[in-house]
Amino acid sequence: MKSERPLRSLDELTLDSKFSIQELISRESFDVLLRSMNELFAVPIRVFATDGALFSEVGPASPLQSYLGTLPGARRSVRETVEQVKSSTPQGDNDLRLQGETGERYTVIALTYDGRPLGRAVVGPYVLPSESMPQALAQCDPLVSSDRLTQVWGEISRSDEASVARLARHLRSMLGLILFSGHRALLASNMHIASVQESFRELSEKSATLQAAYERLKELDRLKSNFLATVSHELRTPLTSIIGYSEMLVAGIAGDINEEQRDFIGTIHDKGEQLLELIKGLLDLTKLESGTLNLHKLDIPILPILKDIVHTLTPTARNKGVILSATGDAGMPTLWGDAARLRQVFLNLTENAIKFTPAGGHVTLSAQIAHVELPTDEEGPAIVLRGVKRPMIEVRVADTGIGIPESERPRVFDAFYQVDSSSTREQGGTGLGLSIVKRLVDAHDGTVEIGENIPRGAVFVVRIPCKRLSFFG
Amino acid sequence: MQLDFTARELTIKLVYYGPALSGKTTNLQALHAASSPEATGRLMTLETRDDRTLFFDLLPLTFSSEKGLSVRLKVFTVPGQVIHASTRRLVLQGADGVVFVADSREAETEHNAESFRDLRENLKQNGLSTKQLPLVLQFNKRDLPSVRTEAELTDMAAQGKEPVYLAVATKGHGVVDTFVGLLHLTWQTLDMRHGFTEKFGFESSAFFADVLGKLNDPRTLPEVLNSRVGRRGLRKEVAQ
Ligand SMILES: Nc1nc2c(ncn2[C@@H]2O[C@H](COP(=O)(O)OP(=O)(O)OP(=O)(O)O)[C@@H](O)[C@H]2O)c(=O)[nH]1
Ligand SMILES: Nc1ncnc2c1ncn2[C@@H]1O[C@H](COP(=O)(O)OP(=O)(O)O)[C@@H](O)[C@H]1O
Ligand SMILES: [Mg+2]
Ligand SMILES: [Mg+2]
Repeated sequence: MKSERPLRSLDELTLDSKFSIQELISRESFDVLLRSMNELFAVPIRVFATDGALFSEVGPASPLQSYLGTLPGARRSVRETVEQVKSSTPQGDNDLRLQGETGERYTVIALTYDGRPLGRAVVGPYVLPSESMPQALAQCDPLVSSDRLTQVWGEISRSDEASVARLARHLRSMLGLILFSGHRALLASNMHIASVQESFRELSEKSATLQAAYERLKELDRLKSNFLATVSHELRTPLTSIIGYSEMLVAGIAGDINEEQRDFIGTIHDKGEQLLELIKGLLDLTKLESGTLNLHKLDIPILPILKDIVHTLTPTARNKGVILSATGDAGMPTLWGDAARLRQVFLNLTENAIKFTPAGGHVTLSAQIAHVELPTDEEGPAIVLRGVKRPMIEVRVADTGIGIPESERPRVFDAFYQVDSSSTREQGGTGLGLSIVKRLVDAHDGTVEIGENIPRGAVFVVRIPCKRLSFFG
Repeated sequence: MQLDFTARELTIKLVYYGPALSGKTTNLQALHAASSPEATGRLMTLETRDDRTLFFDLLPLTFSSEKGLSVRLKVFTVPGQVIHASTRRLVLQGADGVVFVADSREAETEHNAESFRDLRENLKQNGLSTKQLPLVLQFNKRDLPSVRTEAELTDMAAQGKEPVYLAVATKGHGVVDTFVGLLHLTWQTLDMRHGFTEKFGFESSAFFADVLGKLNDPRTLPEVLNSRVGRRGLRKEVAQ
């Protein structure tokens, strides 16, 4: 089956069963079948499709008819014989036997599949082994040569009717098998394609649904960010007043207050500050998410920032019994960044480190220069840059605390995510710190990774590029 | 269903549905083995791997009524394995009736339920529902140990509206009953919708006599139909 045909539905291929013979059998293989039948039975066989078109044939044309065709007086009987064969349609398994005016015999066989007509097989012409030609033939035309007539009559295939009946049976059953295999193959190939198409349709539908859901989520996410930005902003203004007025009260601007009142107002002030931190964090995060946070980048040294953080957090560390220190080489190059935001990064990391380190532990900030290979695409335009190391400032915030299990490491940078252990929950916090850290570092073209601090604790490694590529050659 | 009025020929599509390995193919094989050669052609098994159906099986059956109407049945099985979902949907398209072949074993209950949900979902996608479609249930593999008890099935069958048959498809038990049960239900439904009896002067008892004769079953139609479990009394057309 070489020709491409359009995909037909399963119903068309199984319920109608209205096939053409060409559709179910390849002509080449059918020719082979007919030739072997012809070898066995030595009679010509011709197969016609339902529309009358010749599908396959084997055996010679009738020598008698060729000769009679040259005689004007005999042409009519040849035509009649051919017409008779053409117009006879046998029903079901009842083969039609007929004998024409020329004396030649034919058997016409109905070809069906699944109860539907597929075409006809015409066996013949043949004559019985000892049959002699009709008398009338010798007088059909004045020009007829009786020698020639005897010769062509002798050339007609000989067969008895029983053999032809056997041939018909044989042909029908072989054909049944071949048609069945053909139908099966046709169905299988159609089903293959149809199943793939159906799966594809299903997947396309699903992915369209997913796409729509994704678009909706993105829209919701945008709304959420807007909402957070607005709310944070609206909360901050009154909160600033609360904090401001409580400071003024403590300072005695509104008159003297007693110890207990000072204590209460102090609590109001502290809680207000806490709330303000949270709101600032949210605001930062939404700005970072929407890309509206402005960084003021300059060439800045890292050590002063770390020293300042140690200075700020030493009281907290001391309260917990944790030793806090910072080290670094004074000759280090500057980095390209926003000092206030980088301070925020390392403040967050150091606060966490102190928070998750029990008494007697150490928290160490250390800075050094690191040469990091530039990531280049294998075939990217920057191939010539491969191997060029970019100088970066690497800051390690190491503690000897509870550490972070490897599986949790990628997730702690998600907003509000906290490693769910009782010790974490005890420590409080909002889970916003690291998500801000990550975004701020990204905004500096830097990286942040979490490692193990042998034998215990966590290390946050932050790398921020120094400004110029050519700095160290 | 396809009706060729001039050729007085009706083509009906029946589908055996159910979870993987419940015995759908075995049902068709048993039906094929039971039917006389003049009623059936070759059983076509389309693409299998390890005896599991990949596309479908197809058994053609032809019956006739005395008024010269010939009824061509195309009986399909679907592939039961979960991954062949899209093929199942294709095969189910245009079904006039469905046999749901369940595995009777207690442990298979969840698979049966899952496959039934799948049937309902696929019918819905083809714009049909289990309510409109002629449906009979078969609990197969009654010969195996730890199957759901007959008492329980009878009890539950009496509560539902679908005819329920018990079967051991490997031995051919209950196979003809299930098939004839579905054919009868499908026939009634189509007749109600299209009025064959009126249009063709169709004699349904003669038709079913031909069916049972060609399936080599000596019983009468009421006897066969009554072999279902959990009947709520005889139905009218069966009792007559
Ligand atoms: N013991 C027992 N085994 C059965 C019975 N019916 C079917 N089986 C066996 O169950 C296995 C699966 O039968 P199939 O007919 O191939 O199942 P299927 O439903 O066509 O399976 P899929 O084509 O994968 O959907 C075969 O090994 C059958 O011999 C039964 O009544 N009793
Ligand atoms: N140095 C650390 N040691 C152990 N766990 C840490 C450390 N830093 C962060 N984590 C874990 O990551 C979580 C997220 O940190 P963060 O975003 O700063 O939120 P928060 O500090 O408000 O909980 C923390 O709750 C904690 O579980
Ligand atoms: Mg924190
Ligand atoms: Mg199967």
